[in-house]
Amino acid sequence: MELYEKSAHELSEMLSKKECSSEEITLSVLDRAEATEPKVGAYLTICREEALKKARELDNRLTKQARHPLAGIPIGIKDNISTKGLLTTCASKMLYNYVPPFDAFVMERVNGADMIVTGKLNMDEFAMGSSTENSHFKKTHNPHDLDRVPGGSSGGSAAAVAAGSAVVSLGSDTGGSIRMPASYCGVVGLKPTYGSVSRYGLVAFASSLDQIGPLARNVTDCAMLYGLICGHDGMDATSADREYPDFAKGLNSNVKGLKIGIPAEYFGEGVDESVKTSVMAAVRELEKQGAEIVEISLPSTKYALNAYYIISSAEASSNLARFDGVKYGYRAEGYESLTDMYEKTRSEGFGDEVKRRIMLGTFVLSSGFFDAYYKKAKLVALDIVREFNEAFEKCDVIATPATPSTAFRLGENMGDPTKMYAADICTVTVNIAGLPAISVPCGNIAGLPVGLQFIGRKFSEQTLLNAAFAVEKNIGEAAAVNF
Amino acid sequence: MSIDVKHLAKLARLRIEDDKLAKFEKDMESIVAMVEQLPALDGDASGLDPEHPMKLREDIEGTEKIARKELLANAPQMQAGCVVVPKTVE
Repeated sequence: MELYEKSAHELSEMLSKKECSSEEITLSVLDRAEATEPKVGAYLTICREEALKKARELDNRLTKQARHPLAGIPIGIKDNISTKGLLTTCASKMLYNYVPPFDAFVMERVNGADMIVTGKLNMDEFAMGSSTENSHFKKTHNPHDLDRVPGGSSGGSAAAVAAGSAVVSLGSDTGGSIRMPASYCGVVGLKPTYGSVSRYGLVAFASSLDQIGPLARNVTDCAMLYGLICGHDGMDATSADREYPDFAKGLNSNVKGLKIGIPAEYFGEGVDESVKTSVMAAVRELEKQGAEIVEISLPSTKYALNAYYIISSAEASSNLARFDGVKYGYRAEGYESLTDMYEKTRSEGFGDEVKRRIMLGTFVLSSGFFDAYYKKAKLVALDIVREFNEAFEKCDVIATPATPSTAFRLGENMGDPTKMYAADICTVTVNIAGLPAISVPCGNIAGLPVGLQFIGRKFSEQTLLNAAFAVEKNIGEAAAVNF
Repeated sequence: MSIDVKHLAKLARLRIEDDKLAKFEKDMESIVAMVEQLPALDGDASGLDPEHPMKLREDIEGTEKIARKELLANAPQMQAGCVVVPKTVE
């Protein structure tokens, strides 16, 4: 077994026993990236020299000091997370040359733990999309089937972990952008409770929904990385001030007495029969081990996708106003006035999907339409919150498919935006309600992975990780894909 | 509903090329037709939670400092420590 195939917790133990060095691990992962990148295309930037240099320095230093369990472990970072001195493009022409002068909060944590950043990962432009096909720079391919999408928007983060070109990665999730690609690529992805991970340094898409989270090939690694990045930060006004347990230490696969809610609305029309069967088989297995199945109802789910696209686009239209060709990034050439410069820069700098979302946001916020769209969407959001609260009086976690189907083919949904949006149907309610949720592999259909999603109460990440851990015990950990 | 893409684009400081206008109109109309399917709800949509009010920080000077040169390093055009934009006052 090569080092790149090993999990973060295995590598951590090997490092502490001096069975290998961080340089060896980093080299193995970088060589794997060199071999797989021509086919997968997960990375936008690879920092080979910097990563190896840091690993070497660390190997020399760690013999003398206490180390963080994740020290010396390579990690890939989604390209919308600000990395000081390292290109952060959001996969957009608009930020093709942007080098942040500061680190995101999560990068302070990652660097503080002496993790080794291997590079920046591909995504849908400004995290808007469900297939990573909206990247300005390149397409990313699903390691399980190179003709298929990795999901999005954190497609590079999921594909790199699945291919073994990253041990773990960070993504961001506004409407399913961690869980959906995790499901398509057969890896574990956690969307944390809103407020538990600081958004400082995450390039904003929809500020009331965005959250950074971990992706890994197993639940233990996911728990370790989440434990590293959660916590209070004064730089994010929505950051929760509370204590967090050691999630990896607290992992427990005993589901005896765990009440699992099954909402009929997530197993209805629009979700593939084979996906429902696969998810329910994994849930039934937990039932055999002592979990209790409870039927619940979340009727507002049918409006969730509509409310989500209204709210997220409204916030995006405001957040993306900052890209004007003045302070950073792309500026068009040959303009006659300030307005002309703005319009030319934004028209040439943004891709079509970003333009559609900015215009949708502009539309739903414009006078005369605000009450019919934005206000109604916010009222639907309150109903969704209320229904979740009622459901969690009857159960501890909710189990659903993470996606309505397995990974679709590249190009399959590109002509029809609403068809693409429908891929988010199982995930958007979680962001609207600010809840945590995890996608864990629960089976395969025709060689393509299926993800089971557990949704929990706010700050119940340990419960979610434990439930996912139990599924993983039954199914087996994901391995780096061989191809 | 028919959507005036040209007008929307102008409000958003975007410009849609003429040959792409028809496709954008079709897309925007189908997106709006999708999202407008919402129940007739009424009430206070502010979503404020009186039991968990947000805490605002003190209005004090921050301690984090980034040098002017570093901040301006990303500006497309710069002169004498300032960003350069087209003339705005006649």
